[in-house]
Amino acid sequence: MARIVFDSAAVLTIVFAAVMVLSRHPVKGVLSVVVSFFFLAVAYVLLAAPFIAAIQVIVYAGAILVLFLFVLMLLNIRLEEVETDTRPIQRVLGGGAILLFTILLVTLLSARGAPKAVDQALATPSSGAIEPVARFVFSEYLLPFEALSVLLLAALVGAFVLVSREKRP
Amino acid sequence: MIGTIPLTDVLLASAALFAVGLAGALLRSNAIAIFLSIEVMMNAANLALLGYGAASGTLEGQAAVFFVIAIAAAEASVGLAIFVALFRHTETIDVNKIHLLKW
Repeated sequence: MARIVFDSAAVLTIVFAAVMVLSRHPVKGVLSVVVSFFFLAVAYVLLAAPFIAAIQVIVYAGAILVLFLFVLMLLNIRLEEVETDTRPIQRVLGGGAILLFTILLVTLLSARGAPKAVDQALATPSSGAIEPVARFVFSEYLLPFEALSVLLLAALVGAFVLVSREKRP
Repeated sequence: MIGTIPLTDVLLASAALFAVGLAGALLRSNAIAIFLSIEVMMNAANLALLGYGAASGTLEGQAAVFFVIAIAAAEASVGLAIFVALFRHTETIDVNKIHLLKW
């Protein structure tokens, strides 16, 4: 049962990501990625990580992709032009690279992919709760967590400096 | 919700999602579409991390994904600010038309 739900969520995630790659309309692309990340959150719940699923919806779909939409509407970008002749060699090389990468990944995974199952029943009831995750992050990863807050502050200042119009000496 | 998900399914889904993101990053010419494809690739990596974390029964995977999502937020804000500055400068974000650093 869990496997069927997981597989369909994964397939829908991939399909909506492919819709983004194939559509030339930028806003449609962002919205299909939002849908794709919602299905990815469903997959995260089945992998016993409801906290990550929640921040996937709140931070990724809710904040980061809405930021993308803001910028798209601010810049008022038209449809991407269909380009047939500008970079034919790059296009062929890109397609070949993707094909090669997919084949390599599938062979590697079928050769070495662990047959071990993600056992939902085996996971203890507390493994789905937020408290153990918080306890773990704030004990084992306290220094990276604090460094992350400095990084976010630096990103805030950097974004502000990049888009501010005033002349700096 | 009792049942088992084979780790191979998780890894195959992750690989396919990564390949889709790679295709987008290589084939699109809109800078924002390329950036979105990179986000998709990052999520494919997150899926693999969570799959291994759940299979090993530890919290390491969830902690790593937590940090990846926070860093993705910082990266998205700076990247989009660069695109806004670039658009003011060149009036386009088509990567074929921006060749300031190309010979």
